[in-house]
Amino acid sequence: MEQTLKETKRQNPKKLLGVNTEDAKVALSYFTVAFVSLLLGGILGLLQGLERADLIQLPSWLNYYQVLTAHGLLLLVVFTATFTIGYQFANLSHSFGGLLPKVRKLAWIGFGLMVFGVALVTVMIILNEASVLYTFYPPLAAHPLFYVGLVFVVVGIWACCFGVFINYRHWRKNHRGQVTPLLAYFAMGVFVLWFFASIGVTIEVLTLIPWSMGLVETTNVMVARTLFWWFGHTLVNIWYLVATSAWYVIVPKIIGGRHFNEKLIRLVVILIVVLNIPGGFHHQIIDPAISTSIKFLHVFMSLSIAVPSLMTAFAMFFVFERTGRKLGGKGLLGWLKKLPWGDVRFLAPMIAMISFIPGGAGGIVNTSNQLNQVVHNTMWVVGHFHVTVGMSVVLTFFGICYWLIPYLSKRQLTPKMNKIGVIQTIVWTVGMTIMAGSMHIAGLFGDPRRTSDTSYGGHEVAASWISYELIFGIGATILLVGVLIQVYAVFNMMFFAPKGETEFPVAEPEDNAAPVPLWTERWGLWIVLLLAVVAMAYVVPIVDMILNAPPGSPPIRTW
Amino acid sequence: MKQAIYGLILFTFLALPPVANLLESIMIMHMHMQMPLLVFAGFLIARFFQLKFPQFFERWNANGVPGMLLFLIIWLYWMVPRAMDEALTSPFMELFKFFSLTFLAGIALRDSWKKLGNIEFSIMYIFFTLKFIIMGYLYLAIEDQICNNYLIIEQKTLGWGSLAMAVCFVIFGFYWHFTDQSEYQKVDL
Repeated sequence: MEQTLKETKRQNPKKLLGVNTEDAKVALSYFTVAFVSLLLGGILGLLQGLERADLIQLPSWLNYYQVLTAHGLLLLVVFTATFTIGYQFANLSHSFGGLLPKVRKLAWIGFGLMVFGVALVTVMIILNEASVLYTFYPPLAAHPLFYVGLVFVVVGIWACCFGVFINYRHWRKNHRGQVTPLLAYFAMGVFVLWFFASIGVTIEVLTLIPWSMGLVETTNVMVARTLFWWFGHTLVNIWYLVATSAWYVIVPKIIGGRHFNEKLIRLVVILIVVLNIPGGFHHQIIDPAISTSIKFLHVFMSLSIAVPSLMTAFAMFFVFERTGRKLGGKGLLGWLKKLPWGDVRFLAPMIAMISFIPGGAGGIVNTSNQLNQVVHNTMWVVGHFHVTVGMSVVLTFFGICYWLIPYLSKRQLTPKMNKIGVIQTIVWTVGMTIMAGSMHIAGLFGDPRRTSDTSYGGHEVAASWISYELIFGIGATILLVGVLIQVYAVFNMMFFAPKGETEFPVAEPEDNAAPVPLWTERWGLWIVLLLAVVAMAYVVPIVDMILNAPPGSPPIRTW
Repeated sequence: MKQAIYGLILFTFLALPPVANLLESIMIMHMHMQMPLLVFAGFLIARFFQLKFPQFFERWNANGVPGMLLFLIIWLYWMVPRAMDEALTSPFMELFKFFSLTFLAGIALRDSWKKLGNIEFSIMYIFFTLKFIIMGYLYLAIEDQICNNYLIIEQKTLGWGSLAMAVCFVIFGFYWHFTDQSEYQKVDL
């Protein structure tokens, strides 16, 4: 008996202990920062929407570009990063039966560094010293402390990366001949991508600090933009990989099914990790200084991400159909009715997945050279990433909250809270469809993004955008309602919901599933392939940009 | 056999004039993308020949060394700037490039891949790493235009590209040498 207890302790301590409270604190702290950022970012988003719709006039001490910069950074960087880290550490803790103490310490160090960095960045934006938009590339120059703050954020993320790598290696050494649990595998993919993505932006920011301080006169704008998108585009796919982890592993369990073939799932992770970074070039498709033939070759690099995406789409709908039929669904589409549409843990990620269809299609438009000429720097782009991030990713994150937060805080998801979640999901979907839909259309008519006043002296073309801009405002208002409901739900489940046990829903493989090959665990090889792909993609344009560099740009402050 | 068909499709794709022209218009793409892809096509096609003529390979490439030497000679030949130039100016040389890299180098590489022992494999690995470093250095250090068809900036780009590949090789070499993969393998107690 004692032997069995010992074995259970060693192999699966969470069975004895439930959630590890120390690890839960880490995850919940990250979630707290995430949802405070969501609230602030959401309010700023509404202000922008209303200003754009000409319904309000922002005061002189808080201008449109400050609001735009803060909205972008708080939501695209802070919210997504902190949510991802909290969720991934919770997954690791669950998969590995608790984090190693030193890894937990690294997670806390990362937390401290990130909070400090974000505070520095936010203060600089509020002081109107950093209205450089969330992409912060030159020639717009912020106060040096803004960039220093970003360095702290990146170093904080690195601390978390190393924590994950250490824990992963430790588990593998102690579980010879076994593949890691699927959620841990996803976490490894996410943090490997994060580490290599952030190298580009780190080099960029480290060159911008002396430039913004006046120690260096000029900077190479093209190189900086390229390094930014090395990071920026990869960040998009980091969110996507995080969302995919929930789609593949969590959602099948919630609907009462099994997950898809694990070898394919792991292949998707490997492909996303290896192929990802060079996709950044499609953000620069209109930039000068990159030759047309290189841009053309990069279309292949960008579109290659469609391969794992489509694999995911087919795999997920296969799982839905198989489960629906097992539950008694008949006919061509009868299985759809058998899915638990009333369960927010399913509804939110399901809508997220569906929205990835128009999101992905829009992405293909952006990646295609000729089509991009039409939509570049218009509201179309804003609409696109509100569909992809704001729906596909964020709704998945929201769906995760409804089981993960009660699980971590040892509380229950009550039927009432589930209903609130369903309402929130509907509100969010309606708001985002209205807002992002009208943004797409306005963009096609030429409405520019990142511009506070687009009346252009009452020109008739500009006048045709006004009705769509009013719809942005309506959409943004509905979305803020969605934010308020979500923030309420999160903090309610964290502190006030009734005590109890909540399941951590991890899907099992099919009974007759083939064993997972160990070669999928060769992270060293995947990383070298990632580096080789990056080298293939970046050497030509960057050498060209440096050897044929223009004089460079001094720091410019337009405000 | 499926692999051989994929290989043939890849080979045909690479041989399409617009694809070949695009890849050959940029020096680094010519050397670091088109040529390796041709070898890879041959690597896939090799399965067909291995199944059709097992005895031939058994007789001529029993320990993998002859095949590897053939691969090496052909690969190194195409690293010579003049050979690249000729491929661009003479259709016969272009034809020879497609044939030699796919059907001589690619097939030989595939057949030798599993037959080579650890020591031979390590020697090859170190050789290729050094080749990338030396080529990278040469292309960066030489001030003259060494290919009639490519500008000096393309030469420099190729130099940086070769160094980047060398870095990847070195990292992987260290990873392979210093991590004990058996640590992760199953142990029979």
